[in-house]
Amino acid sequence: MGPLPIVTGISPKEGPPGTRVIIRGEYLGKEPNDVTGLLICGCDCLLSAEWKSSNKIIARSGPGKGRGDIIISTKSGGKGSCTVQFRGYHETIGPLKESAVWVEEAPLPGLSWGSRSLSHSTYHLEDPLGLSVEENEKKFPEDDLHEMFPEGSGDLGSENFEPNWFLLEHHHATSFDDLKVGLSYLKRKVDGQKEGQLSFLKDNVSSVMEQMDTLFLLKDKFEEDMKKHNTDTTTKIEKAINGANKLFEDVLSRRETADATRHALAVMTRYKFLFFLPVNIEHNIKHGDFDLIMSDYARARNLFGKFETPIFKQILADVAATINNLKISLHSKLKDMPTTLDQQKKIIRNLIILGFEGDPGWDAINSTYKYIKDQLILNREDHIAAESIQLDAEAGNIHYLGKQKSENNIQYEKHKKISNSNILLDTQNNTPPRIAFLEDIIEFILETFPEFWKLGQAYFNGELQIKPDKMKQNEFKQYVVNAVKLCCTLIRSAILPQNSDTELQWPHYSSSKQSNIIEIILLWLPHCIRLVQSLHSSLTNLEIPNESVEITSKLLLDLRIHSMIIELKKTADQVKGLSNKENWQLDYDSEYGAITQLPSEFEKLVSQAIQKIKESILETKRKEIPVLTNPTAKQELTVLINKIFLNFVQTLEVLGMISEDHDHAIAVSQLIGSPTPYSENDSSELTWEQRLLAMLSNCRYTRIIIYPKLSVQFHHQGFPSIDEPIRQCSGALSILEKRMIETYVELKSDPLVGTIEPSMYLGHFEWDTCLKPIDLRPYAKEILTNITAVYADVHRLVPKLLYRIISEIVETVAEELSRLMSCVTKFNSYGKVQARIDVMGLQRVLHQFMNENASCFFNEALEAVLPIDEYESNIIEEILNNFLKKMSLQLSCFIAVCPTKE
Amino acid sequence: MSKKTGTQPALHKVIMVGSGGVGKSALTLQFMYDEFIEDYEPTKADSYRKKVVLDGEEVQIDILDTAGQEDYAAIRDNYFRSGEGFLCVFSITEEESFQATQEFREQILRVKNGDNIPFLLVGNKGDLYDKRKISIAEAQARAQQWNVHYVETSAKTRENVDKVFYDLMREIRSRKIDDTKVSNGHGKEKSKIKRLKCCIL
Ligand SMILES: Nc1nc2c(ncn2[C@@H]2O[C@H](COP(=O)(O)OP(=O)(O)OP(=O)(O)O)[C@@H](O)[C@H]2O)c(=O)[nH]1
Ligand SMILES: [Mg+2]
Repeated sequence: MGPLPIVTGISPKEGPPGTRVIIRGEYLGKEPNDVTGLLICGCDCLLSAEWKSSNKIIARSGPGKGRGDIIISTKSGGKGSCTVQFRGYHETIGPLKESAVWVEEAPLPGLSWGSRSLSHSTYHLEDPLGLSVEENEKKFPEDDLHEMFPEGSGDLGSENFEPNWFLLEHHHATSFDDLKVGLSYLKRKVDGQKEGQLSFLKDNVSSVMEQMDTLFLLKDKFEEDMKKHNTDTTTKIEKAINGANKLFEDVLSRRETADATRHALAVMTRYKFLFFLPVNIEHNIKHGDFDLIMSDYARARNLFGKFETPIFKQILADVAATINNLKISLHSKLKDMPTTLDQQKKIIRNLIILGFEGDPGWDAINSTYKYIKDQLILNREDHIAAESIQLDAEAGNIHYLGKQKSENNIQYEKHKKISNSNILLDTQNNTPPRIAFLEDIIEFILETFPEFWKLGQAYFNGELQIKPDKMKQNEFKQYVVNAVKLCCTLIRSAILPQNSDTELQWPHYSSSKQSNIIEIILLWLPHCIRLVQSLHSSLTNLEIPNESVEITSKLLLDLRIHSMIIELKKTADQVKGLSNKENWQLDYDSEYGAITQLPSEFEKLVSQAIQKIKESILETKRKEIPVLTNPTAKQELTVLINKIFLNFVQTLEVLGMISEDHDHAIAVSQLIGSPTPYSENDSSELTWEQRLLAMLSNCRYTRIIIYPKLSVQFHHQGFPSIDEPIRQCSGALSILEKRMIETYVELKSDPLVGTIEPSMYLGHFEWDTCLKPIDLRPYAKEILTNITAVYADVHRLVPKLLYRIISEIVETVAEELSRLMSCVTKFNSYGKVQARIDVMGLQRVLHQFMNENASCFFNEALEAVLPIDEYESNIIEEILNNFLKKMSLQLSCFIAVCPTKE
Repeated sequence: MSKKTGTQPALHKVIMVGSGGVGKSALTLQFMYDEFIEDYEPTKADSYRKKVVLDGEEVQIDILDTAGQEDYAAIRDNYFRSGEGFLCVFSITEEESFQATQEFREQILRVKNGDNIPFLLVGNKGDLYDKRKISIAEAQARAQQWNVHYVETSAKTRENVDKVFYDLMREIRSRKIDDTKVSNGHGKEKSKIKRLKCCIL
């Protein structure tokens, strides 16, 4: 035999019949079938027993009343024992007590049966001992009574009436003497009853007689009626009974309904909590009190989940359905956009509280991502539509666009009116759609994206009380990258159409419209850069994956390069346009002679451009690619700078070399009689030879002063070196200068040389009929005068090139002289002296500007003249000295100044 | 049945009091049967009794596990009367349950008519320290004010479960020894006074 079962715990320890009790203890059977007996308060409850383990059995108490043992018997152990007891009691249910069962409201039998009080019924009303009843407060505790008399009862009518109980209950404070008096009273009463029927009749003789009289009276009446009506009274009585029954039926059915209502009400109050649950939950949903909903629901499930009652099940199911609906609606609310991070977090938390299956965090991420994507695309479509509306409107108003505002004020006014009805029209004052698009999406991204990113962070850091799916981290990263990518691609396609290659291109319009659009965008580029930069820096601050930041920084770089290129191209055009702006205001520089505004205008343009590029384009922030380290940017920069410089060289060339009035031939000879060509030029109107010289000095000034200046400026502003373009363009300039000098020399010497021969033979002069020489001949003087004129110009405009230019002119003059001398067929003796005087005079005067060739030519010229004797040479010397002395003032420029030979 | 066998070991009557859901039943069942019940099933009034060895002496402990739910508050008075010692339990995760100990204490003092009652203040659910609402200091301050001990338990991990029951039994035992000493002197009178006061209540 195994150990005896022993019960050591009972829950609850008391209750009415049918109470579900949990019995705990030891050795309560090895298996359900091992239990062979279960007694609770002496009642066999085995049938209701549910064996859970050898420590636990659940059962329902039987009808046993009072305190009693709980005894379990097992096959393996035998009949066991217990250390705790169960107390069964019958709930006394009165009209005031809540109850699920019908309460008999009729007065208790015995209280009012019969009009005359029969002796035994008085027990309930008055004390059997004839003593006054004690005040209630002094009542003996009922619990103690139960303890003392487990089997007993204080009820006089009960089988197991316990007199001690009765006395303690009603008279525990009564003195012993009083009790004795009571006892004798009781004895008297009992004795009185014992006297039997006779004494009973004696006591009530008057009423017995009365009854007898009534019975006789009744009998007489009845017999009279029989005689009178001769009918069977029984049928009438039966009818009456039927009628009465009917009457009662009504009453009974009413009672039944009342019964049912009462029952329902009782159930209602008892399970108030459950029945109010749906309403409460509804209420709490309205207030967003999800914690409360869940705890209520859990409590309801705990309390009522085990009941099989359909109404409970129904309500629980309803509640579950409500909660489910709530979950679904919350979950769909999660997809409502736009929203805030807090809102999303709140919904997610509530979903978690409500026990939502699935991953609301990830769902939120997904729907936010989708929203961002959709909004970007939608925004783009909106603005494309706006642009096309605008373009259509402009097409209707094309007349205006073709002209400048100021040119056509009426049109402008008209346009203003139209633009009031359509703001998009006025491109001058309003943001064009593409730029507005940029502003919108960047603002949108700045608003939504950080929240999106933070949502993701919160999700993966487990802040949302969800176990994050770490596998999705990569996917999220991809979302982030994709969103940024999409945004950047959209920006590109809007403002860098030539640079983007996606299907997200904005529509292409006819070329004039398109170029109009592009032109407008160019105006807005710095604004765009600022916008994109704000996007970039805010993304950088979020510490999002580098991959995405790279996308924006690449976009930014492209934008910067693009606008740099645009800026430089613009400058190149402006430089080209300088040729139209030249006003020929000469500025005299001691070093470089006369220069115009041109070089400084050029310098101004270039430095303005680089200033602007530096300020609005190159200004980079954290995590941005510096523009100038980018090879493409660098190359573009060099190429464009080169272009700008070359454009300037061209400008110089155009201004210097192309004479708009080439046919204006310089008056060939003073001797021939035309007025001096120089006097007709006032200072404001330069001849084009003078312009040539001015440009020449501009070239030199640019090459020597401006270029190094710019180089320094580039260096200071942090641009890459521009030595290479400078080197190239200096070469180009030198070539240009050389060509200019050549052109100038040619220009000046051709007419000068051309006049020598006619002047020499003016007035049918012949060397063999020459008269006695007294001075240089006029042609020689004319040569000097002409050279002096050139000298004056060159000296004024390009003093540094004085030697170079004059010497070349002198060379051509010398060459012509030697040619002319060698062509003279015959000199007479005067002629030969005269020729020598002329040649030597020139030689003497111009000796400072003579290069080797020139002196050769002079010598050749002298050799071509017949030799002379000493006398003649003395004469020559005398005349020459005379001439030099006489003309010293006029010739001083050739002699006094000793120009540097460059 | 066991009642009828020879000399009975001493019986110490312990009553579990405290708000609903604080873990009175959980503590009792853990102590009695080494089991932990996850599900919450409100108690009405449960009775447990078993033999234990207290400091080498075999004694019986009788545990009355009472209802914390307000619905059953009315029947408490009766139960308290029969108790010799009280474990006043609250949950360290629930502010209200701690506040309620004050009322329980007052009710016990009223029913038992005196303040030298074997009594322990028990902070249960110590395993849920991350949801703690009541600091140890706060609880200890209250215990000191009442001149009782404060112990933190966990019915879940069984921490201090035996301790609270055994400590309380020791207090009951020493209280009984004091009482018998007193009753050797003016025992009758005292019990009479007590009964009278009881009646007035
Ligand atoms: N984590 C944890 N849970 C506990 C602890 N004690 C009780 N619980 C849980 O708390 C809930 C209520 O425990 P009970 O022991 O039934 O509470 P009670 O004090 O008896 O409540 P009433 O009978 O209504 O007065 C149950 O779900 C237990 O599982 C504990 O120490 N730690
Ligand atoms: Mg309990």
